[in-house]
Amino acid sequence: MAELHIIGQIVGASGFPQSSLFCRWGVHTGGAWRLLSGLREGQTQVDSPQSSDTAFWSHPIDLHYTTKGLQGWPKLHLQVWHQDLFGRCELLGYGYCHVPSSPGHHRLRCATWRPLGSWQEQLAQMFVGGGPQLRSPDVIYSGADRYRLHTVAMGTVELELGIILRNFDKYGVES
Amino acid sequence: MRYLQRVPLLPSNGFTALSGNKVPQSYVTKVTRAGSFNDNKRSKAALTRSTQWRLVESAGLRCLTAVELPPAASGRSPPQAARRNMAERWSADAGAAVYRSRDALANLRIRVRIQRVASSALFPDQLKEEVVRRQEEGLIELDTLRGPASAAAEDQEEQVVGWQEKLFSQFEVDLYQTESACQTPLDRQYHRDIAALARAGGRRNLRIFTYTDYDRYTNLEEQHAQILIPASKSRPTFLAERMANVRQRRHERRHIEGQVPKSRLITWEPSEEFMKNSHVINTPVQTMYIMADLGPHGKLGQKENEYVLCTVKADSNGVITIKPDFSDSKGSYRVDTEGEKREVWQLTLENASAIISPEEKERERRMYTDLYTRHKDYLSSLVGQDFEMPPAGILRLLVNGEVVSAKGYEYDDLYVRFFVELPKNWSSLSTQSLSGVTQTCRTRTVGKDSVAFFSYPFSFEAFFKKENEMEESLPQWPVLYFEVLSLDFWQRYRTEGYGCLVIPATPGSHTLTCSTWRPLQCGTTAELRRFFIGGTPELEDISYVRVPSTFKGRHLSRFGFRTVTTGSVTFTLYCMQHARAFVDAGVLKKRRQSVLDQLVGFSQQGSVYNVLEAFQRARRRMQEARESLPTDLINTTTPLTPGGQP
Repeated sequence: MAELHIIGQIVGASGFPQSSLFCRWGVHTGGAWRLLSGLREGQTQVDSPQSSDTAFWSHPIDLHYTTKGLQGWPKLHLQVWHQDLFGRCELLGYGYCHVPSSPGHHRLRCATWRPLGSWQEQLAQMFVGGGPQLRSPDVIYSGADRYRLHTVAMGTVELELGIILRNFDKYGVES
Repeated sequence: MRYLQRVPLLPSNGFTALSGNKVPQSYVTKVTRAGSFNDNKRSKAALTRSTQWRLVESAGLRCLTAVELPPAASGRSPPQAARRNMAERWSADAGAAVYRSRDALANLRIRVRIQRVASSALFPDQLKEEVVRRQEEGLIELDTLRGPASAAAEDQEEQVVGWQEKLFSQFEVDLYQTESACQTPLDRQYHRDIAALARAGGRRNLRIFTYTDYDRYTNLEEQHAQILIPASKSRPTFLAERMANVRQRRHERRHIEGQVPKSRLITWEPSEEFMKNSHVINTPVQTMYIMADLGPHGKLGQKENEYVLCTVKADSNGVITIKPDFSDSKGSYRVDTEGEKREVWQLTLENASAIISPEEKERERRMYTDLYTRHKDYLSSLVGQDFEMPPAGILRLLVNGEVVSAKGYEYDDLYVRFFVELPKNWSSLSTQSLSGVTQTCRTRTVGKDSVAFFSYPFSFEAFFKKENEMEESLPQWPVLYFEVLSLDFWQRYRTEGYGCLVIPATPGSHTLTCSTWRPLQCGTTAELRRFFIGGTPELEDISYVRVPSTFKGRHLSRFGFRTVTTGSVTFTLYCMQHARAFVDAGVLKKRRQSVLDQLVGFSQQGSVYNVLEAFQRARRRMQEARESLPTDLINTTTPLTPGGQP
């Protein structure tokens, strides 16, 4: 019977090699959690910054969860994509972070990585674009099979989240 | 109207803003309430016409001014008393007032009363007495004194005007009577209405009439009102032009909150109309003008004699702007006419809307309360009542964390292996995995370092139960040991560093960066091997990083062990602690107790705690039962008899 409010925004992304970016995001929880209101996933607009290398989205996140237990705390997963002049979309990074568990205002910087293929694929990617993507994105938020991957580091996504907890202290949870 | 809430405005500087002429500085200070004027002891004749008549004109708009008149000294006859009342309370404030209302606009009713202030009212009583005296001596004609008692019926009028209620003026009646003068459908509608009124017995208003939203008057009015500064060649600014006709635009497409149109998000070639609608604030405002035809007797129906009494603007959000404000507390307003004969008319505005009855108000309030309660119940039924709790006496530690990044390492293609070690008194479920391996990540240069981003999530929970009460040592918290390794394309495997991290004892979010080191073997062969083939010395027992698990002595010595510093790894941890003890601590209002204190007394003295808890519960029940009894049954104080004995 405890409730969690996540109210914030995906501010933007920086440090990526290309600049017209958009982000697909989603929140993944365990079985004991139920979403009361808000959109669990979404996609931002494409932003092409003119001067700086930071793309700003300011995409709102407003979620209200209720839970019966502490396990399966919500996790936020992100995919940053690049849309080029011809309208083709190319994956630039997968990122992941936990939703903070202490109430208050948090600024998160979520690091992203991209899978690497063989050196032939890397060469092709340099000229033509494209590149390997994960078959099922849940590898992002479960760590079990990660060791099979060979990745390269990409940029960071910046988020501002405000967390409001309700009734957690009535059940003896200190956070 | 149930009520109108007044939105406070800055004190109106209506006179200075609208006046074409400069208001003489000395005059402004004279505008005070009735009663204080007497103190000035100025003789009445000193108030010349030039200071009394502040003729304000701006582009043909007659404005309401307010001026102070000397109150009559004493009242003897009813007409004089009426005159004094009239003259005493003139309002100095002719600015707009903003109200908010939640009810329908159709309920708005304004009572307008105008009354001509006869010229003899300007004479105070003393002068009048003098005149009367002289009159008796036959020096002054009787005609010049026309008391207000002889006011013709045309000199005052009172009407209750509803919102957008069309009252015709004499001019309009004359104009629309002939069918040939009607051009637009509106004109024809007016013609029909006038004919119907004539059949029904004439209109009920004489001087007071209204211009509603549909009349052409309102267009001219707005354009003139735009010119705030009386510059001769001022053109309205771009924004003023865009917002000029905002009143006429109606929102066809009501934007519902939160809904985005699914198709046609972008308009590639916006039309002029579309730009006008979207680029400026678009609250459609409906305007209504209450006017009066203040011509002399029998000569009504001239357009030059029309004066604006009151402007009412309302928008769809329930914001009503009335200019000038209701004159309930502030005294009447004064309308000065121009033309050959300058007259003064007194204007009173009152809010005559029907007030909601208290029963209705109560019913509405109950309905809202019901609605909110039902919504709240629905929400809490969705949420549910149960929450899983750890068993009594056990602290549950839940850590959500991630391996964020690693930076500053020599080689590329890094990965991190870590595991959590639980000291004694800690346990975890057998299905829990306490270790992990991240993916292999190629580094990238950020700033001066090469970083690798992992964003590897992990979470674990552990349970703490103090077994042996006699030991006084503080509980040891779990430790996260990790090592950073690199494995490149040529299958060269190297250790890059070892580190450890103690899980923080305070709940909350922690971002921790740990530096690492790796063991170094002296000699060039080791270095060559590391470079070409990739084997490196490793630690057998990774807990050597902190305190080796096999260590039992009193002094830990690492003398002779060579290491070299390598890079650092960043972790983000969100720790939560969960125990039943925290619930009871909250109930008993203990603040900020350390975890140890709260856990004390569970295992062996747990039975004592249970007894205490049962006692607390029983006491609470008794207190509740006591409260429900009527108070005269309980007499807690015993009366003192003299001598101090009960």
